[in-house]
Amino acid sequence: MKKDLNYVGRTYPIHDATQKVRGSLEYLSDMKLPKMLYAKLLLSPIAHGRIIKIDTSRAEALPGVIRVFTHLNTPKKTYSRYRIIPDQEFCLEDERLLTEKVRFVGDRVAVVVAVSKEIARQAIELIQVEYEALPVLSTPEKALDDQETKIHPEGNLLHQYQLKLGEQLPLPDDCIDIETKTNTQKVHHAAMETHVCLADFDSSGKLTLWAACQGVFGVRTIVADLLELSYNKVRVIKVPMGGSFGGRQETILEPITAFLAKEVKHPVKLTLTREDTIISTMTRPATSSRIRTKVTKEGILVDCSVETIVDAGAYATSSIDNTYVMSKKICKLYRIPYYEHSGKTVYTNTPVAGGARGWGAPEIMTAIEIHMDAAAKRLSMDPVELRRQNLVHPYDFDKSSHISLGNAQVIECLEKGAEAFSWSERFTRVLDQGRFRRGVGLACAAHKNGMYGGFPEHSTMTLKMNEDGSFILNTGLHELGCGTITSITQIAAEVLDIDLSNITVLEADTEYGPYDFGSYGSRVTYICGACAFEVAKRVKEKLLECAAYSLQKPKQYLECKNGRVWVLGNEQNSISYRDIATTAKVKDNTDIVVTHTYHGTSNPGAYAVHFAEVEVDTATGRVRVLDYLAAHDIGKAINPGMVEGQIQGGVQMGIGYALYEEVKVGNDGSILSSSFKNYHVLNAPDMPTVKTLLIEQGGDEGPYGAKSIGEIAFVPVAAAIVNAVNHALGTSMSNMPLTPEKILAVLNK
Amino acid sequence: MQIEFKINGKEHNMNVPSTMRLIDLLRDELGLTGTKEGCGEGECGSCTVLMNGKAANSCLVLVPQIRGQEILTIEALEKDGQLDQLQESFIKNSAIQCGYCTPGMLMSAKALLMVNPHPTEDEIKTSIAGNLCRCTGYNKIVQAIQEAATQD
Ligand code: FES
Ligand code: FES
Repeated sequence: MKKDLNYVGRTYPIHDATQKVRGSLEYLSDMKLPKMLYAKLLLSPIAHGRIIKIDTSRAEALPGVIRVFTHLNTPKKTYSRYRIIPDQEFCLEDERLLTEKVRFVGDRVAVVVAVSKEIARQAIELIQVEYEALPVLSTPEKALDDQETKIHPEGNLLHQYQLKLGEQLPLPDDCIDIETKTNTQKVHHAAMETHVCLADFDSSGKLTLWAACQGVFGVRTIVADLLELSYNKVRVIKVPMGGSFGGRQETILEPITAFLAKEVKHPVKLTLTREDTIISTMTRPATSSRIRTKVTKEGILVDCSVETIVDAGAYATSSIDNTYVMSKKICKLYRIPYYEHSGKTVYTNTPVAGGARGWGAPEIMTAIEIHMDAAAKRLSMDPVELRRQNLVHPYDFDKSSHISLGNAQVIECLEKGAEAFSWSERFTRVLDQGRFRRGVGLACAAHKNGMYGGFPEHSTMTLKMNEDGSFILNTGLHELGCGTITSITQIAAEVLDIDLSNITVLEADTEYGPYDFGSYGSRVTYICGACAFEVAKRVKEKLLECAAYSLQKPKQYLECKNGRVWVLGNEQNSISYRDIATTAKVKDNTDIVVTHTYHGTSNPGAYAVHFAEVEVDTATGRVRVLDYLAAHDIGKAINPGMVEGQIQGGVQMGIGYALYEEVKVGNDGSILSSSFKNYHVLNAPDMPTVKTLLIEQGGDEGPYGAKSIGEIAFVPVAAAIVNAVNHALGTSMSNMPLTPEKILAVLNK
Repeated sequence: MQIEFKINGKEHNMNVPSTMRLIDLLRDELGLTGTKEGCGEGECGSCTVLMNGKAANSCLVLVPQIRGQEILTIEALEKDGQLDQLQESFIKNSAIQCGYCTPGMLMSAKALLMVNPHPTEDEIKTSIAGNLCRCTGYNKIVQAIQEAATQD
């Protein structure tokens, strides 16, 4: 018997919406503690050099300054800001709290702790540093060519690998070779709240960190190991934050702030300005991918070889893994008999690259989708048709991970989307020749659902029932602003059949909460959501057992409905959750509480196909996005309103990625776009209305069939826009972002 | 310097440095942390407040400029425990994700509706052109403002 859903599949506002519209939600940047001190960082103004002299005496003499730290009086121990679990592979420990050798504009040179923000700021200006400049390697090409200059002692090539999947078969005679090269740039995550951290080291020897982060346990691991504290002496609490998008996945400010709090024995708050956040935290990695395919005249992909270079920036962080995952994506999208991928990860004297919405998928999917359009053009085929012939089918096997792609409905997204967008009419329209030229583009994309198939994957939650029949679900979740807490509450509410207001879902806290890896890898709905489902199911069983006892009826004759347990077929005979819980506790000496660890055992693809119409002004080179449709294979939308919001937000970010956004680095390593004055984030007038089309066919192990959305929503956007611009102009641009200058340069060639 | 001004209907007479920004006065001195800082240079709109009914970036306003002015912040948008129509509409339309831009968006929208109760979609977009949001893609925010306007 399939029950109608009461809570799942309905739109609810984010759980703290009322506090947010009132301005009463306390974000980390709003928090203050008694006796709190303020820290400020001195960042390197040069991209590569050695500090030969550093004089902090004037800063120390300033009234109100508590301490000044440099590499001379901080631990020399190195660490990786990326490490989540102890003994994790590919986490190069190449970073120090404060550096003696600066490796990019924005590297941490010194830090001041003072009684006010203002004094800390003034003190920073008083620190005098003398540098011995070293040659600046501002691109991977330069870093690979220069054998003399080493950013880190091990050399500039951080890692390289090669992957071969499938079997190279004798090629049909009529194959054509297609080759493209796509460059993607460094971008700033641009979460509206800048990076901030608050730490306290109390008299009992315990360190507490209030963190706006994506994984408290990773923060704890890194900070505790670095400061040589045992894990029970470090408490990391997730607090409200103004967005993340991968920019707070790595542990950036927590180590230094924790160190300061431990040294000065006061709470210390470190808040970055926007400029500091842009240059000194993390960026999306810049990549270049050369793709060569062999395609039959009928448009069947036979063979694909990809060479990727990832610019890690000055420190390794997650870039080795990022390069590696890029090689795992294309086979989730297309059936390719033989696939080859080689990747190089390279240090440069540029801002540090790291986790960013989509984690490698946007970079490589942009490259392959620009390539597919180039192939369609060579074959004079409709781009929809070419893709339809090559896309994966439901329950295909993922060559790269050797597990099933699950109910992969990408062809459905393509077909339904093309129809809703009137693709063929728009694509075959006679192209404009005047000043304003319209074009359409599409892109397909694949992403994942959690980390199963390469990394440990599990989540733990504890659900307890209160005496009044309400519930508390204790989790290791991180609300980044995506509506996680609401959707998890909906899942638990659905299982328990009780209104959302009766369930409180707690966020991550390393001391009071259960373990979870964190909010990344598109794992939250699929893995943590399934955990919420399972733990709620177990509590419901207990609840029914207690009710059976009270009602004197076997469990199988009972059902839960709207906060009561009913005897089937007897509407009169029921008992409220309150009475069940109170009776259990008081009379039956029973507590209704369950802790459950859910293990991921699958990792289906999440899919999207996006369609865009653009208009290019050939006089100015400016592109306007006129129309946009996003078709998504989501399995089941738990909260459709928030799902749409994720997609629309992903499109905003993706249009910027395609057209404007870039953390630009000069030849000398200087950052040319270090503020919102010269780093353009798309605003409301430039944003098109995004129509969404959700394919909800379930069929996988997520809660109620749900799959991920936040990351995949961003993945196809840039390619759809670039392809539309190329369609409008008859060009084949692939060097992102397509700024007006680049467009004019191509038009004037 | 000694200065008199009115914030959220309350008269204040304070002694503060003349170089202090309005946003710091609000957040650090008066504890009105609903006003957010996203850039500190007039580019993101997170810090938007109303000054004599007009939307202003409080990170660009220095304390001497508020002499004799009436400032309204997000904390004053609800009246007698009753949320403003705009606030209700933002909630209802899923126009809030991380919520960091929300106070500024609401204040810009309020400034618009105070002078133009029935704006067009383009007027709405223009009124929040200085308010950046990284989460929502603006669609639902525009929709929420539109809906609040039609309910008046
Ligand atoms: S903080 Fe004032 S406009 Fe950004
Ligand atoms: S809701 Fe996050 S910035 Fe707008």
